[in-house]
Amino acid sequence: MTGVETLYPFLYDGGGITGHVLSEVRRSTAEKALEIVALRETLAASHGEPLVACARRMGEAFRAGGRLLAFGNGGSGTDAQSLAALFTSPPAPARPLPALSLPQDTAALTALSNDVGFEVVFARQVAAHGRAGDIAVGLSTSGGSANVLRAFGEAARRGLMTVGFAGYDGGAMAEAETIEHLFVVPSASVHRIQEAQTTLFHVLWELTRHAVEGGL
Amino acid sequence: MERRSAADLVRDAFVRRTAPGRGLAEDAEAVARACHDMARRFHRGGRLLVFGEGSAAADAQHVAVEFVHPVLVGRRALPAVSLAGDAATLTAIAGSQGLDAVFSAQLRLLASPADIALGLSADGRCASVLRGLETAAELGALTVALVGGDGGDIARGGVVEHCLIARSADPCVVKEIHVTTYHLLWELVHVFFDQSGLLEPEAVQ
Repeated sequence: MTGVETLYPFLYDGGGITGHVLSEVRRSTAEKALEIVALRETLAASHGEPLVACARRMGEAFRAGGRLLAFGNGGSGTDAQSLAALFTSPPAPARPLPALSLPQDTAALTALSNDVGFEVVFARQVAAHGRAGDIAVGLSTSGGSANVLRAFGEAARRGLMTVGFAGYDGGAMAEAETIEHLFVVPSASVHRIQEAQTTLFHVLWELTRHAVEGGL
Repeated sequence: MERRSAADLVRDAFVRRTAPGRGLAEDAEAVARACHDMARRFHRGGRLLVFGEGSAAADAQHVAVEFVHPVLVGRRALPAVSLAGDAATLTAIAGSQGLDAVFSAQLRLLASPADIALGLSADGRCASVLRGLETAAELGALTVALVGGDGGDIARGGVVEHCLIARSADPCVVKEIHVTTYHLLWELVHVFFDQSGLLEPEAVQ
């Protein structure tokens, strides 16, 4: 059987496909929507205290004038952009906090990729922008993105606070000694991992906001 | 701000997401129907044009890369592009025609009747997204919107064929429901698309 047959055997039930497809797709949709609801509930229990500890340090870093630098690849790259935008343009009445998204600068990305290599695209930007007391936030579903790991290495060397989001079992990010606060989403689905990571960084922002305002 | 314990803040934050997450499961029929129509457009050679402002601009790029570079090996690349990713284009249009025109102006140049226009707006009130969807509908493209809250002008305007409303007024929670929704849109479009026999007009009614 192909991958699609394995996932959706109802499509191949011998001619009876048309009447049932929409209802089967509907059932599969509901299942996946409930899967992420259940995954989020487990994260509340396992990641709650580490999120608070991370938010308290981020609050101190922002109060001391630190900035946040976010990075990741592909969908995790757009998530880095979303995360930075949440800090700089939060829903009212929260106050804006300084953040930069590193994957959105196509000039820097293509220059560094062309001249040096893709594995340095975030590390070199961290070297250019990062100062001791800033906050480096990297996202990877596999936990193994080489350019994200290199950026954490550079951030740790420069005295930035380091925060990572990974999936599966955390991959190489779980082994790295350069990531102080690591949040792993224990799922084997890239999509559910990204959805849960989005919740985690939203909650982290909310807690950081309380911390900055002295309420955490 | 009222002082609450850290544990309470964490619990409240996660609990706030449960009902909207279950709401998406209840909307599975609408999601499935949107996917079926989207798959028909791709089958006819259409492209997906995605747009949103602010944080939804990042989502627009995320949606496009899901289709162009599938996470599952063996799924074919489908044509999708974000209209929210090019700062030169966006600022040029915003400067000459106003922010509300940033997507509609691009759609007038790029959209054809076979295409799919997908707009994202957390509160359903984003004027540029509404104008983009109106323009896409005028051009004959399929219109799909991911919104939240009470659905806003986008849900009420009557121009959108598939309007999926996340059941929360919190823009962060709405975004999370949208991320799951567009992951499902991608996955289910492929389920239909891989079975091209299902995409004939009479196949599924």
